[in-house]
Amino acid sequence: MKDHDEEALLAEVATLLDASEHTGHPLHCALQRLYRQHCDQRVQVERLISISDRYQLLAMEAQQVTQRRYERTLRRQRKLSRISDGYQALMRERNQALQQASTHDPLTELPNRRLIGERLEELVSERRRFSLALLDIDHFKLINDHHGHDIGDRLLVAITQELSATLRHYDLCGRWGGEEFLLLLADTDLQEAHAIVERLRQRLAAVTIHDADQSLSVTVSAGLSQHLHGEPHQTTLKRADEALLKAKRDGRDRSLSATR
Amino acid sequence: MTTMISDLDIPGSQSAPAIQSDWQAGRLAMQGDSYPENSYELFDQVIHWVRHFLANQQRPLHLELALVYLNTSSVKAMMDIFDLLEEAFETGREVSVTWHYDARNERIAELADEFREDCSYPFAIIPVSGES
Repeated sequence: MKDHDEEALLAEVATLLDASEHTGHPLHCALQRLYRQHCDQRVQVERLISISDRYQLLAMEAQQVTQRRYERTLRRQRKLSRISDGYQALMRERNQALQQASTHDPLTELPNRRLIGERLEELVSERRRFSLALLDIDHFKLINDHHGHDIGDRLLVAITQELSATLRHYDLCGRWGGEEFLLLLADTDLQEAHAIVERLRQRLAAVTIHDADQSLSVTVSAGLSQHLHGEPHQTTLKRADEALLKAKRDGRDRSLSATR
Repeated sequence: MTTMISDLDIPGSQSAPAIQSDWQAGRLAMQGDSYPENSYELFDQVIHWVRHFLANQQRPLHLELALVYLNTSSVKAMMDIFDLLEEAFETGREVSVTWHYDARNERIAELADEFREDCSYPFAIIPVSGES
């Protein structure tokens, strides 16, 4: 609207200047100079605005390019971290699997000798009181010989499940050898350990598995010993082993405690 | 053929992948774990080869991968290589990737799939059964 007014005014002035009757009027010359000066200034201002606009556009485009580049870098960085995290998790899982494999028995998933040995050393170095029980399945070889190793393995797993279900959560039960298990009873004296083992032996004798139409169950012999202050855990183990041997010789299906 | 550069034939080690390139066949292959000490040095050669091939040849380029574990700098190098392929593909070049993984290790396929995310060229992830 304002532009329109200005155009109309300029057109009116131009018409007045062009009219022959105004030639020679004292104001004619001054108005003509004013008119030309105004037109020049108008061109200048328009050029200035146009240059300024182009600069603004350039700056904006540059900013958009930077922004896009930044977003792309950020996306790449996130993708890199994500994939890298994935590989790290993979590595950690592999390590855990290896750790599990090196400290546990694959059949029964019980701790193996290595892990039990570590626990025993910990207990000795912490000066904790503990008792050990070595359990051995009576005549296990006969099961393997008569029914095959698959049945033998199934029996071992069934015995393991009963052992794990019966023990206190702070007890440790490991597979010591073929059909031998070691119980590590922390903060437990020999008398208490004996009661635990007797209860356990009863429950283990009730474990039954089936081979075709035949039910199979076994009895368990046990040798117990209590750690004596200052002795290496190997000595405690040796006494439990000797007690187990004696229980076997005395007719199996019983537990014996090592004398101090 | 004056623009041809010598092919790569880098034997793998426990921590570095084996790498072979075949300029004539338009083929680049990498196998194994990758957590080398000199990651940039190793992959710079590969990136250089790919860049050179794409710049000087109009023939297709195929990547044959059987990579297993990658550390972060190796992941970055592979992303750079896949980006080079994407750029070439957008200008109409024929490029493709086949990533083989041990069928027992599905996690590797998931990670290969993450790499594939921004690639619009053919990128196959194929299980290999048994020992690899």
